[in-house]
Amino acid sequence: MTQSTSLSKTPAGKARRGFLGNTIALLLGIVGYSVPVITGIVTFLNPLRQKVQAGQFMRLAALDVLPDDGTPRKFPVIADRTDAWNRFPNEPVGAVFLRRTGKQQVEALQVVCPHAGCFVGYDAKEDEFLCPCHNAHFDLSGKRKDEKSPSPRDLDTLEVEIRNDSEVWVKFENFQTGTPNKIVEA
Amino acid sequence: MNALIRWIDDRTGLVSGIAACREAPVVGGAGWMKVWPCTIMFSFVVQAISGFFLWMLYSPGAQTAWESVYYLQYEIQGGWFLRAVHHYSAQVLLVLVAIYLIQMIVTGAYRAPREFKFWVMVFVGLVVLGLMLTGDLLAWDQNSFWATQVRTKFLALLPAVGGDLYKLAIGGPAFGHLTLTRFVALHVGLFTASLGGLLVFYVWAARKATASELNKDRDTAASVESTYWPNQALRSGVACLIVMGVVVYFALSHGTSGGAAGVELGAPADPADAYAAARPEWAFLGLYEFSNKFPGELKLLPIFVFPTILLAVVLLMPIVGRFLIGHVFNILFTVVILGALAVLSFQALEHDRLSENHQQALADGQQQAERVKLLAQSPQGIPVGGALTLLRNDAKTQGPKLFEQHCASCHGHFSVDKDGEKQGIVPEKVSAPNLAEFATRGWLLGMLDPKKIVGPDYFGETKFKRGDMAGFVKETFEDLEDGDIEDRETLLMALSAEAALRSQKAIDARDKERIAEGKDLIADDFGCTDCHKFHDEGQLGDGPELTGYGSRQWILGIIANPAHKRFYGDGNDRMPAYAETPQEPAKNILTDTQIGMLADWLRGEWYEPPQELAK
Repeated sequence: MTQSTSLSKTPAGKARRGFLGNTIALLLGIVGYSVPVITGIVTFLNPLRQKVQAGQFMRLAALDVLPDDGTPRKFPVIADRTDAWNRFPNEPVGAVFLRRTGKQQVEALQVVCPHAGCFVGYDAKEDEFLCPCHNAHFDLSGKRKDEKSPSPRDLDTLEVEIRNDSEVWVKFENFQTGTPNKIVEA
Repeated sequence: MNALIRWIDDRTGLVSGIAACREAPVVGGAGWMKVWPCTIMFSFVVQAISGFFLWMLYSPGAQTAWESVYYLQYEIQGGWFLRAVHHYSAQVLLVLVAIYLIQMIVTGAYRAPREFKFWVMVFVGLVVLGLMLTGDLLAWDQNSFWATQVRTKFLALLPAVGGDLYKLAIGGPAFGHLTLTRFVALHVGLFTASLGGLLVFYVWAARKATASELNKDRDTAASVESTYWPNQALRSGVACLIVMGVVVYFALSHGTSGGAAGVELGAPADPADAYAAARPEWAFLGLYEFSNKFPGELKLLPIFVFPTILLAVVLLMPIVGRFLIGHVFNILFTVVILGALAVLSFQALEHDRLSENHQQALADGQQQAERVKLLAQSPQGIPVGGALTLLRNDAKTQGPKLFEQHCASCHGHFSVDKDGEKQGIVPEKVSAPNLAEFATRGWLLGMLDPKKIVGPDYFGETKFKRGDMAGFVKETFEDLEDGDIEDRETLLMALSAEAALRSQKAIDARDKERIAEGKDLIADDFGCTDCHKFHDEGQLGDGPELTGYGSRQWILGIIANPAHKRFYGDGNDRMPAYAETPQEPAKNILTDTQIGMLADWLRGEWYEPPQELAK
């Protein structure tokens, strides 16, 4: 570390100088390396500053195309998407299950399973939603069917508006997975 | 020469270092059970070499990662084999580390003074798992993307910091370019360097342990019957060769040519369409099944808490093992954990094997992978937007999805097989014509059949059941004589030729004369042009135009707006307009591309390689 120890006369002085030298060397090292380490970490933490776009109403389908018997149908959500330096206009960014619950009433469910983010599918045979990754079952309104469901909450419902009596508009949002409460991704 | 060697050794210690390695004592003599560390190092070097060459061919980026792996796999000579060697030697490396750790536990070799050998090997195992988890994603295909998505989402389970950890792990709020750049840096940089460093440290610790044993105990020193070279080195060399043999065997086990050779490459990752058959790699299947036994609220336990406890127990083994009872506990613990993992992995596999949904999802995924490969090999090639756009713009795969979403609540698209089963897209409640084979001669024949036109496959469930067309067909085509049947056939040929379907190209060319004749029949004899416009005859407004009936343009038009005067005008029965306002695309239900794919799919026209078309 340092040559100064060889100059010391007494053992006590040797130890003291050795300690001083070690400390100085350590400090020099810390200060020197802190420049690349800290700047590196700052850029590494950049994702924390990135926010998800706030949810907005989008037209997903014509009311006519939803079956009267309440069978759910999956619709892709098309929106502009940004991936780091690229912007992709009008790309599918997710999907929503729409289900008619009345003449002018529609229910919308996120396809993203609240457990671990897979997409649930509609199982026509059982007339239910099934998440293929860890086998969580949900009824048509999104309620968990299993006694011990892998999912910590029911499927996430989305706000729906029927506009001009014929268009289904949905406020598309993504929610945090794994939490018992529905928290909008931010 | 000797002077040169001495000169080098004086300054570097290289020559005597190598000699010392050769002369290193082997406690207890050379043996086949002592080959593991060497095979582990060999596998690591194989990984480093094959990985380096893969790295030169890899392009991390959401639109280039899968594409570069595709290029490696299918275009570069021997690329599939390089990828397979890298993949399988990773699996073999993990198995070797596991075998060595188990051997150390069972034989008590983890005890003083060899604790560090054991601990370093445990960390080697952890880094290998890290390499597998990061390497898996790099192919950026559906399985690796969605399996990694699930794994990283589990980070969100951690209280308070979970969401932020997730973002840090994947480099942003969602998977994309920055996820790949991060994973590649971890994989080829941090983890690879750590593994190399750990293995060097392992050799250091092993030699120290041997020296300390020899110093302490004269009897042990006496038991040294052999040096590393040649007895142990040659045994280890043979073992390494066997390891390579196993890797090559697996690499070749799916054949040496064709799409399945080497390691599977699925369809490119689609962030908007989850892969329903996504599963973790075999090494994690046990943990996967274990975590499935816990309800959502308790997921933290199997995913984070228990594995941490397990690791702590393993790390404490050399200390606990100092006592006989502790050693027995360690062995029992190892047996129980391994047994449990084996049973759980088996359960997971068995569950998937018996699940119809899973098998279907696997088959769908395979089909997509094959389709995208075919499209990538078409003259069009992979566009800048990535291979995913090939699938998204492919009429063959997207057509049925669009049809199900937007058309199938009224229209069917099915045929009836010989058992009377409907095959294809069958609506819950039919309320519009079945569009399978639309505009072919066969389909049009049904339209001009007095019974069928009012049946469910045509106008039976629409208001046109009682319309002029149904009336005309009943009047004109009931009780036909031979000559009339032939005339109707001529008419059908002419009308169907308007669609210019690829599937009818040959017969259209063959029947050129009758088609010309039929055109006159439409205009004159049958009086179709009383209601329909057909080329220069007739007027728009009463019934759909017959010019170009069933052609791509015609189908695009009717989907865009069936109530246009070219089609049903005011008489339109319930069919929505999917693109009513071309000047304002945002207001339309479907984009032009989507309608184009629907039209191409209805017409059976999508890319097929030339040899398929020739059949």
